[in-house]
Amino acid sequence: MRSSENGIESSKEISQSEENVINFLDSMDTYLILVDSLSSALRQGWFELASARQSMGASRVNSALFDLKSHHASTTLQVDEHEDIELPHFTLCKWASSDDPEKYSEEAKFQEDELLRNKSDSPRPQQRGATSHCSEYQERSAEIGGSPVKVDNHAERERFKSLSVFGALVSPKLRATQSSFEKALEIVVEISNVRSSLLRSYDQVHEELKNTK
Amino acid sequence: MYGFEAMTFNIHGGYLEAIVRGHRSGLLTAADYNNLCQCETLDDIKMHLSATEYGPYLQNEPSPLYTTTIVEKCTLKLVDEYNHMLTQATEPLSTFLEYIRYGHMIDNVVLIVTGTLHERDVQELLEKCHPLGMFDSIASLAVAQNMRELYRLVLVDTPLAPYFSECISSEDLDDMNIEIMRNTLYKAYLEDFYRFCQKLGGATAEIMSDLLAFEADRRAVNITINSIGTELTRDDRRKLYSNFGLLYPYGHEELAVCEDIDQVRGAMEKYPPYQSIFSKLTYGESQILDKAFYEEEVKRLCLAFEQQFHYAVFFAYMRLREQEIRNLMWISECVAQNQKSRVHDSVVFIF
Repeated sequence: MRSSENGIESSKEISQSEENVINFLDSMDTYLILVDSLSSALRQGWFELASARQSMGASRVNSALFDLKSHHASTTLQVDEHEDIELPHFTLCKWASSDDPEKYSEEAKFQEDELLRNKSDSPRPQQRGATSHCSEYQERSAEIGGSPVKVDNHAERERFKSLSVFGALVSPKLRATQSSFEKALEIVVEISNVRSSLLRSYDQVHEELKNTK
Repeated sequence: MYGFEAMTFNIHGGYLEAIVRGHRSGLLTAADYNNLCQCETLDDIKMHLSATEYGPYLQNEPSPLYTTTIVEKCTLKLVDEYNHMLTQATEPLSTFLEYIRYGHMIDNVVLIVTGTLHERDVQELLEKCHPLGMFDSIASLAVAQNMRELYRLVLVDTPLAPYFSECISSEDLDDMNIEIMRNTLYKAYLEDFYRFCQKLGGATAEIMSDLLAFEADRRAVNITINSIGTELTRDDRRKLYSNFGLLYPYGHEELAVCEDIDQVRGAMEKYPPYQSIFSKLTYGESQILDKAFYEEEVKRLCLAFEQQFHYAVFFAYMRLREQEIRNLMWISECVAQNQKSRVHDSVVFIF
């Protein structure tokens, strides 16, 4: 009886260690895919920027036009370290209103709490498709509330405002550049979250290896 | 009277026409571009350019080389050639050559004003200005708060003064007002240049009318496409279109109400010269529109050299050099970013 109980416990331990190894490998796979995606997004962004300079002229697209006046960041990164969740979680809050950033960042925080609850229940996806940024969840909640157009218009307005340093009428190529770098930023945040999970999985596997020795 | 320029043109313009035709023969050929497109590094590009007329301008540049350095030195060559021609020119050719600079002056004015609005250092902005568009009081632009001050303090003594009558206001300068100012100034400049060429008459008027009309039409299309999805109203958009060109006035009416690229295509395909340009685009695409327009422009500019005894060759040469510099900038960027497979996306061959 005792030996069968010991057998059941050891088989549970083995399956737990195998699960940890699989989690580690899954996280590593996701991490590598995301790093590759980031490289592609940045490469595409820089190429589109060169294309925009070709189209609009070097005098219209250059670093001398960046706005040095103090202003609120339209995109911020939030780091959540909840007690019940071991890992720090990074969230990108995109296109908060530069006029009233607190209003939109409070809404973003509320949405992120919902996100954390959803993530703790659902398995981590293998591919980049669950980028956690506030504007997507704002759109989902807005759909439930019945006003998706309002959120989209706000994001579009903020995008237009950030590009207006290069002029009010910019080429579609410059807007494509903005989209590419926006996507790259999302991937960076996703990489941070995956890396955090990867390091935890690594620590678990490492600890098990030490215990078995 | 058209046709009798052969009797008198060479008295004042013969030397400079010969000079500009000599410069034209120094433009890079397709073989040069093929060699440049195969370069692995910017130093390779410098090595290939050392065998061209750009050689003396790049030979002393140290490694590592940057794309902006290549463009800056090539532009310096263009400026030297232009200044040589300007100092040798007599009226009315000297005024004609001055007109070629005004577009760059407008770009520089907008750059300084925009940069000042963004609290940038004036010296830094002056370094980014195009050398062809510099004038004495340009640094003083930084003190103006609105267009009225801009005009009163600085621009009243410049050749751009007559173009300000349509956009003087006491409104503070912001991004949209600056953009409207840019396009309004350029519209006034193009119309003034067009009238000047018409007054010159003869082959100059005929060829320059075609080139400037194309420029006006291209600007109308670009303004339309760039303003889609922005706060610019239809009326404001219509006001930025020039009052001449193939699209004036009915094409402008259609472009003013366009809400997407397909509607722009629909409006433009009614005009045979632009049908071939827009037929190259797939539906919803605008990425290769710039290249298509540049190719059409280069074709027209090259045709200007087929006739003698007119001033349009000077305009055509300057534009062809600017296109060449754009090509070099693009090739350099593709090489620097290791995107050589995409180099032919934007290179426009001249010969």
